[in-house]
Amino acid sequence: MSIVEGSGTKSRLRAAISAIGLAGVGLIAVVVAFGDVIARVPAGAVKVGPPSLPPQVVYAFGTDALGRDVMSETVHALTVTFSSAVLATIIAIVVGAIAGFAAVRAPLRLGIALRGIMGVFGSVPVLLLAVVAVGIAGHEFAPIAAGLAASPSIFNRSFDRAMRLARSRHAEYARATGIPASTLLRRDLVYEVRGNFLNVAGRALASTTIALATLGFLGFGATPPHADLGLMIAAARATYLDQWWPALFPALALILLILFARLAAALDEGEPP
Amino acid sequence: MWRDWLLRAAQVIGSLLGALVLASLLATLSQPTHGFWPLLSVFCAKFMAALEGDFGRSAVTGARSMAAAVAAFPATLQLLTVGAVIALVIGIPLGIVLSASRALRAAAPLIEIIAAMPVFVAALALIWIAVRVLHWSDASQTSALSWTALVRSGGWNAAWQTFALPALTVGAAGAASVQLSLRRAAVRAWSAPYRNGLRMMGLGTLDIDLRYAVPEVIAALLRDAGEIALALISATAVAEWVFHRDGAAVLFLKSAAFGDWNVAAAVLFLFAIIKLVAEFLGLAASWLVAPDEGAA
Repeated sequence: MSIVEGSGTKSRLRAAISAIGLAGVGLIAVVVAFGDVIARVPAGAVKVGPPSLPPQVVYAFGTDALGRDVMSETVHALTVTFSSAVLATIIAIVVGAIAGFAAVRAPLRLGIALRGIMGVFGSVPVLLLAVVAVGIAGHEFAPIAAGLAASPSIFNRSFDRAMRLARSRHAEYARATGIPASTLLRRDLVYEVRGNFLNVAGRALASTTIALATLGFLGFGATPPHADLGLMIAAARATYLDQWWPALFPALALILLILFARLAAALDEGEPP
Repeated sequence: MWRDWLLRAAQVIGSLLGALVLASLLATLSQPTHGFWPLLSVFCAKFMAALEGDFGRSAVTGARSMAAAVAAFPATLQLLTVGAVIALVIGIPLGIVLSASRALRAAAPLIEIIAAMPVFVAALALIWIAVRVLHWSDASQTSALSWTALVRSGGWNAAWQTFALPALTVGAAGAASVQLSLRRAAVRAWSAPYRNGLRMMGLGTLDIDLRYAVPEVIAALLRDAGEIALALISATAVAEWVFHRDGAAVLFLKSAAFGDWNVAAAVLFLFAIIKLVAEFLGLAASWLVAPDEGAA
């Protein structure tokens, strides 16, 4: 449910919020696409400038203790985080939203059984599930782990929503007139994608970004030299009380990415599963 | 009604068994096997042992996994409990204020800017403020000392500084979850079709809110107790890591890093129990507050 739901002015407000979020995510995508041009040096390049230089004209985000350009490092880390989060989001949408929607129509009460299994997975926090998945599969599978870990709650929401639709009056009429279940599923899925895809995708992007960055921060995510924003913040932790800039700029980039993803979902926060 | 509650109790027992299966699967990883049947046999043995609370021995220390998990749990429970209290103290007024009027509801999106901050970023920001602005000693360094040991030795100030930041971090994450649940319920309650009918019957807005909307909102908050517990557990894991507290969540992270799956399974099972119990108690309490809504 959105906190700005409704019709008329409120709907326009939702559309405006969503447009701002989409524009923000688009801008980040452009920065990521041209990351190698925007970043002046390759990822992990040391002694680019004098060590521990605060932000100034030449080094807009300053340099860290090893003389790395913080702006270039932030752009590279944003690229890793964003591309991993997009992959994780696709997995979460397919395994969570679409599978949850289709499971309602699965034969032999398979859907109910799947809902039960996902309910059990849902009793463990996303972060801990992702940690287990990374521990089993390895650090390079962190995006897949984050996507799979975020899936149970998305699956449960999607399943419950589809169940309400399957039991709705229009579904009863359709079944009574002989319309096959597969046709009804296709119809509901089209309406669902048209009406809610952006909200689901935005929420999933925000959720997987948080999971991936936290995994990186805890040491379960990306490994150097391909550091993500979480790992970059973790690396800056030793000195950030005196030199704030190597931690602040990646943190801001991370917050902006999550904020824009949530805005793109029109601040739709979803029903609890 | 009793049928509903029996069904709910059966669901909780089913979920607990499911969590036990999940934990047993995880513990199975500690014994590498090849082929489906040997794997199934190990899993069955692990599951039967897990039913008796035995998750095997730690691959790192050799101690009983469940004993290690239980020993680390008081520190985590302490943090979770204080975090939950802070979450309610901050989250409930915030949720009420942000859903009190149309103007404030429109301003609610501003909270998103704060909610967009991951827990570890919030924890680091709190440490920075404490050290640079309040001139406390670095809490992430002193947290290695036991809070109770500090209190016993009379170091109240150090104990307060050691415990305040992790508790605030967990509380802030919980508060975000509490206010979200409240706002979600408030939007539903404020736009419920029965309000117009009650107004036409002559009831004032305050009467409608107090008699119908408020119980509905409180019941919805209680129904979300499981979700709030999940947010608190997640935040506790991060807070324990950032502030170097030796709790169950850090034990879980270290176990997962070292592939000590027996211990990881035991901790994961205990966390699942907390969530499921919070969910069940929340549902029961929501039924007491609003019987019609609680059964929903």
